[in-house]
Amino acid sequence: MKRIIIDYQKCDGCKSCSVACMQAHRETEGTVYDLDLTDPHNESRNRILKDADGQYKPLFCRHCDDPKCVESCMSGALHKDPESGHVFYDETRCGSCFMCVMNCPYGVLKPDTVSKTKVIKCDFCVNAGGEPSCVAACPKQAIYVEEV
Amino acid sequence: MNECYGCNTCKSADKPLEEFIAGLPMETSHHRVDSQSTKCGFGLQGVCCRLCANGPCRITPKSPRGICGANADTIVVRNLLRAVASGSGCYIHVVENTALNVKNIAQTKGEIKGVETLDRLASIFGIEEADVHKRAEAVADAVLKDLYKPEYEKMELTEKLSYGPRYEKWKELGILPGGAKSEVFHGVVKCSTNLNSDPVNMLLDCLKLGISTGIHGLVLTNLLNDVVLGEPEIRTAPVGLRVIDPDYINIMITGHQHSMFTFLQDRLTDDDVKEKAKKAGAKGFKLVGCTCVGQDLQLRGAHYTEVFDGHAGNNYTSEAILATGGIDAVISEFNCTLPGIEPICDELKIKQICIDNVAKKANAELKEFDFENRPAVTDEIIDEVIEAYSARRGSVPMNLMKDHGYANTLTGVSEVSLKKFLGGNWKPLIDLIVSGDIKGVAGVVGCSNLTAGGHDVLTVDLVKELIAKDIIVLTAGCSSGGIENCGLMEPEAAKLAGPKLRAVCEKLGIPPVLNFGPCLAIGRLEIVATELAEALNVDLPQLPLVLSAAQWLEEQALADGCYGLALGLPLHLGLPPFVTGSPVAVQVLTEDMKKLTGGQVIINADAKESADILEKIIEEKRQGLNI
Amino acid sequence: MKYVIIGAGVAGIEAAKTIRQKDSAGEIRMISKDADVHSRCMLHKFIAGERDEKGLDFTEEDFFQKHKIDWMKGVQVTEVHPDAKEITLDSGEKISYDKLLLAGGADSFIPPVGELRKATNVYGLRNLSDAQAIVKEAEQAENVLIIGSGLVGLDAAYGLLERGKKITIVEMVDRILPVQLDKHAACAYQALFEKAGVRFVLGRKASEAVCEADGKIHKVTLDNGKEIPCDLLIVAAGVRSAIACLEGSGIECDRGVTVDAHLKTSKDDVYAAGDITGLSGIWPNAANQGKIAGANMCGGSEEYNDTYAIKNTINFFGLVTLCVGRILEEKGDQIQIKEDKTQYKRVILKDGKVQGILLQGDISHAGTWQYLIKNQIDISKIQKDIFHVNFADFYQIDENGEYRWAEN
Repeated sequence: MKRIIIDYQKCDGCKSCSVACMQAHRETEGTVYDLDLTDPHNESRNRILKDADGQYKPLFCRHCDDPKCVESCMSGALHKDPESGHVFYDETRCGSCFMCVMNCPYGVLKPDTVSKTKVIKCDFCVNAGGEPSCVAACPKQAIYVEEV
Repeated sequence: MNECYGCNTCKSADKPLEEFIAGLPMETSHHRVDSQSTKCGFGLQGVCCRLCANGPCRITPKSPRGICGANADTIVVRNLLRAVASGSGCYIHVVENTALNVKNIAQTKGEIKGVETLDRLASIFGIEEADVHKRAEAVADAVLKDLYKPEYEKMELTEKLSYGPRYEKWKELGILPGGAKSEVFHGVVKCSTNLNSDPVNMLLDCLKLGISTGIHGLVLTNLLNDVVLGEPEIRTAPVGLRVIDPDYINIMITGHQHSMFTFLQDRLTDDDVKEKAKKAGAKGFKLVGCTCVGQDLQLRGAHYTEVFDGHAGNNYTSEAILATGGIDAVISEFNCTLPGIEPICDELKIKQICIDNVAKKANAELKEFDFENRPAVTDEIIDEVIEAYSARRGSVPMNLMKDHGYANTLTGVSEVSLKKFLGGNWKPLIDLIVSGDIKGVAGVVGCSNLTAGGHDVLTVDLVKELIAKDIIVLTAGCSSGGIENCGLMEPEAAKLAGPKLRAVCEKLGIPPVLNFGPCLAIGRLEIVATELAEALNVDLPQLPLVLSAAQWLEEQALADGCYGLALGLPLHLGLPPFVTGSPVAVQVLTEDMKKLTGGQVIINADAKESADILEKIIEEKRQGLNI
Repeated sequence: MKYVIIGAGVAGIEAAKTIRQKDSAGEIRMISKDADVHSRCMLHKFIAGERDEKGLDFTEEDFFQKHKIDWMKGVQVTEVHPDAKEITLDSGEKISYDKLLLAGGADSFIPPVGELRKATNVYGLRNLSDAQAIVKEAEQAENVLIIGSGLVGLDAAYGLLERGKKITIVEMVDRILPVQLDKHAACAYQALFEKAGVRFVLGRKASEAVCEADGKIHKVTLDNGKEIPCDLLIVAAGVRSAIACLEGSGIECDRGVTVDAHLKTSKDDVYAAGDITGLSGIWPNAANQGKIAGANMCGGSEEYNDTYAIKNTINFFGLVTLCVGRILEEKGDQIQIKEDKTQYKRVILKDGKVQGILLQGDISHAGTWQYLIKNQIDISKIQKDIFHVNFADFYQIDENGEYRWAEN
């Protein structure tokens, strides 16, 4: 399967990946120029953490080999696609229990800010041809896609 | 595998150039577009603030304010005002040096090539001096006096040089500028940490800086240079890389201050200097035009046929010009001298000399222009260039592009030469506009950049769209360099125009795109616009006239743009000036400005859509005038 | 190989999936009382009318065909004979197996109070059939009495509010959600339910309930003598493992089926997973057990060791809460609380290790807490506000790009 590999030492914390992710998943039409950066509907699936030493640690869904989010999903909304290996989320099936949020050992997932009815989950930009926007946006090549 | 540095070069409207650059063994800006294609979204929107140690702060849904409390509007407009103040500072620096040059020439009884312009200025300024040199000195002093006024004292020449209805409008808005240098100071203070947070207040300052930039920085620089360096005369000239003649010692010039070459350009054709060149094995010296100062020289080329070979290309052609191997030295005095030429100069043993320390390049020798010691400094420069020529020729490979560009490009167009061409008044042009043979006028001005579709891509596509709609295009700036290298300034380009404009052009033997020269000549376009408005007895915003800085690049362009907005003109930009993160800035610039000055900003990166929008505006203005 | 799985809940389904992955040719048969595969965590949505039966199905489309599973639905297992390797159905039919999985779950526990067990209008809320019966009964009912204010009781209330019923909830202790929340966090939900029309009677037990002539209970008397009228009763007082069919089978049972680390019962080739084991009552653990039991039925020897089960998430009226670990304060605890208009956070620390976390309002990215608690990670050396401790402080990346927690 393809996975976004992270070279965290290269990360500058510019959050371009986050902006790109917001842009890729916005509900409205438009370009990054008019992406409303203050609209809480626009949420990034990735984020840049910092450890106690100030080192940036990018947090991106791993689409785990043994996804704990899928294991916890009681509605069938989350499933690991046997072909691509990616973990996909079907909003329409989601029961909004957020057991997946609790069960992701890395703290990747979150409920959506506005309605608290769905999970903010990386979809590997499958609707945009499976080329993750975050990867394309990274100015440092701190993230890149590799077959694993 | 081949020798190319990289195959990922950006597109250029100039296809032969694109191919040339893609085949180069060295890295250019065109190569770097790809590796820099990832832009920080916060930067693009202008919502990154690093004015204090709490920063950088960036606006996100979870952090709608910086630590200090500044919201997106404050952050964006502060950044914009900084840029405009900086851009204004650049032009004011240019006019200051230009006025000083006039003063020095006058005091030393040097040659005054443009007496007509001098008299025009003296008359506008109300100066009555019989002696030509005293007159020139008084004119220069009047400009300098204005530039050095404090911010709280209004400049005296603003009213004299501006169109009455506009002046009244500016007065009403409270944006009449004080001393131009002090205005830059004021702007810089205003947008520093935790001072002004009122976006509208700061946007009005941008307009004020636009006025001082436009009238003093642009209009006066042109005219003062015409006084000393000669007035533009309409003629045709070759353009592109073809102008490089390897038989000569070639000096590429970059910058914006033609005045700084006053002495050098004459000295290069003196017999003793030519003799030096011949001794070194060359036929003599040639100046190769690049960037706006090259446009300036091209514009006044009628006076410099011996030393000036022609304009080779704009800012983002500079690396290619050097890569031909035919250039022996670069003399630069101001911006649009890309840092990226430095490694190329090193590799090709091209001597870099800077004559104004504001534009000192890292590997260049600084030889500041020194009026008093000009003979000695000039000769030192000449000797060093000859030394470079001798050291490099034979050891550095030539990669000339003799077919590049065009042979008969129309140049030398100014507010005076064009009027003369039309028979001494604007009536023929007005008649053509009224009859609809010319639907309107578009000033396609400003820079060249690599991001709006590629090198000159949007600019050239937009120009093609506009002329096809019978809209005549007037250009000024690096856009001119790109457009002329694509052949649109040859009379043959008339066939690309719409049927009506084509007929006009063919009848007059002119291209549908008229080149006024450097970005400074935006001031000349403004004079044309003002005189047209005067002839029609209307205000500027009523004219079927639009501006486009389709591929604006730098802070100076933003100051120019503010001038356009102060004039009440619609201003198209291909890329937003890092303001879209601020709803207030967007609202004021694109909508409210219509009520403030009559102007408006239109942002669109698509040539066809942009042309349609501009055409619609022109048609509305025509309707407003009942034509 | 013949695999028989009793139960079509998440443990059974996950086991079947795992078996099919490992043994493409084996014969898999699932036998369930349930006529529809459904997620019991979403029964409130069925009661509310938000979803129909199909909407509760958590399996992928055509699950049984795709995995070549023979599913006997609506069928009850009455006897298990490990020595004969066969089971008996309520129809009398006998089915043989090579490997058997007991994943029949649990049943609602109706306490022996008054005639609660006898009445025809008293329901648990465990299976879809319960929810279906409640919806049917609710058609004629106006007053609903719910006994127990745990998640099931509140689920029932949430669903029935949508049907416009008058709801009273009786709870033994002095706050709702006593297992999951502290009083502060519980009050937030109580207020939301009350605002929606639910009446709570806290610190009271039902002491008397008598069937009337129609076989239904129409009022319940509390331990303070007060009477509460009702037409429909829902008892949410816990569950008991469904082990009735194992009587006489020789399979060792305690409160649930006794299993070893491999989830094997006391009899060879018989495994158990999910609620029937009594190991945990939560979905992800049941799913995990199903996977492990399935793998072991195919000859594997996987161990069930991710046993941590004191965890839950709650989402009513858009107010989300996450609670993992211990909620009640003990001696030596260090409690830190942060609260603002959008969230309430409470952490219990002991000796530099997190014992319990409660997050209400914003549970974003909270998955790391479970790891910190169940693995008793020492965080005393991390110079950060405890609520800012996150995976960055333990950030490791494996060769295949997966994350890994740094060794403690």
